[in-house]
Amino acid sequence: MSKEPGKTLLKMKVNGKAVEVMVNPTWTLLRVLREELRLTGTKKGCEQGDCGVCTVIMDGRTVNACLVLALQTESKEIETIEGLGTADQLHPLQKSFIKHGAVQCGFCTPGMLLSAKALLEKNADPTLEEIKRGISGNLCRCTGFVKIIKAIQNVHR
Amino acid sequence: MQRFQFYNPRSVEDALNFLAEKGERSKIIAGGTDLIPGLRLEEIRPDFVLNIPEINPFRGIKEMDHSFWIGPTTTFTEMVESNLLSRSFPALVQSAASVGGPQIRNRGTIGGNIANASPAADVLPALLAHGGELELQSKRNGKRIIPLAEAILSPYKTCFRSDEILTGIILKKLELGTRSAFEKLGRRKAMARARMNLTLLLRLNHREEVSELRIVPGAVMPVAKRMDRTERMLLGKKPEPLLIEAASKTLAEEMVEVTGARWSTEYKIPVLKNIFKRMMKQLLIV
Repeated sequence: MSKEPGKTLLKMKVNGKAVEVMVNPTWTLLRVLREELRLTGTKKGCEQGDCGVCTVIMDGRTVNACLVLALQTESKEIETIEGLGTADQLHPLQKSFIKHGAVQCGFCTPGMLLSAKALLEKNADPTLEEIKRGISGNLCRCTGFVKIIKAIQNVHR
Repeated sequence: MQRFQFYNPRSVEDALNFLAEKGERSKIIAGGTDLIPGLRLEEIRPDFVLNIPEINPFRGIKEMDHSFWIGPTTTFTEMVESNLLSRSFPALVQSAASVGGPQIRNRGTIGGNIANASPAADVLPALLAHGGELELQSKRNGKRIIPLAEAILSPYKTCFRSDEILTGIILKKLELGTRSAFEKLGRRKAMARARMNLTLLLRLNHREEVSELRIVPGAVMPVAKRMDRTERMLLGKKPEPLLIEAASKTLAEEMVEVTGARWSTEYKIPVLKNIFKRMMKQLLIV
């Protein structure tokens, strides 16, 4: 990679793969994922940490990619929606979202799935209240949340 | 965002050296949940951004002989998950749990909440009620410890010098039998900016009289502070319902003295009175 003025080399892991990318100090993780790495499954929404559509998992915890500077992710492991199952082999949560009609326009879905995944990894059998709290940082304007919650509750059924 | 240089210090010393030289033109970033929106809107335009979450001595929660030490880059999630804190400072943990949603709590830090000094900060009033102290450090002057109550001068303004870093938060251990509670009122359940919150800390003596009481409403005043007049009304007395009722009126008056009458005052007075009475009742049942 050629040296570009004002840019710094960032090394991190994205979906299990080591990544090296030249970034501007002002860029957020969201911008690097979408525009440099072309991982556009992570959506850009409010850019203030309110809507949760840019949710990714960083070192095991969900974060809003719009509220992390790219250079803050040096040596971190990032998991995006592209790392959650493949087209032939969907993740159980993805299957459950489809089965329960938890996807309408789809814009909140990637972030919602990652919040659900992080929740279930810490707590395999969450109560209704715990699920609501777990996805409280992700807004959905279509489904009214009921089907999303059902999909998470019934993921292993 | 206006251009800035990003610096990732390797140690506390490295960070202090950096600030000694460039502090006036720098902003410290921890979780970034408040700072990054400010940078994006260009409300702040630093030449340098100093990244501190990777500095290990700034993390964690330790129990000392007479106090607890909380590292400034401890996240709200780490506070909520801490058994040490949950046992000793339930109101503080409740306040941390009320911040934003999971993504914000995973990133946002106690030190950032203090340094940003937002009037709506969730954790500040609870820290004030617990008599929190701040440990600040600079290359030039070494360490100093100041009470949190003196650190916040006005909304978004602290007394921290430009070459200083907040290196720790100190909470003295509470006397046995001290009870505490926190409640937050927002426009919705999750992710809400606090409209109002209230932290209470209460201890009764063997005669069931109030031997200690700290009352800190948050988000209603430019800078959160203890409501001493109301506290004194109850000190040394049995907390009977009539006295609590009277104290709730004084509390509302004391708040209005600070805030002045605003469009929302008519709403806030009865709400503050009722939350106060409800929380006192809960604490007295325990």
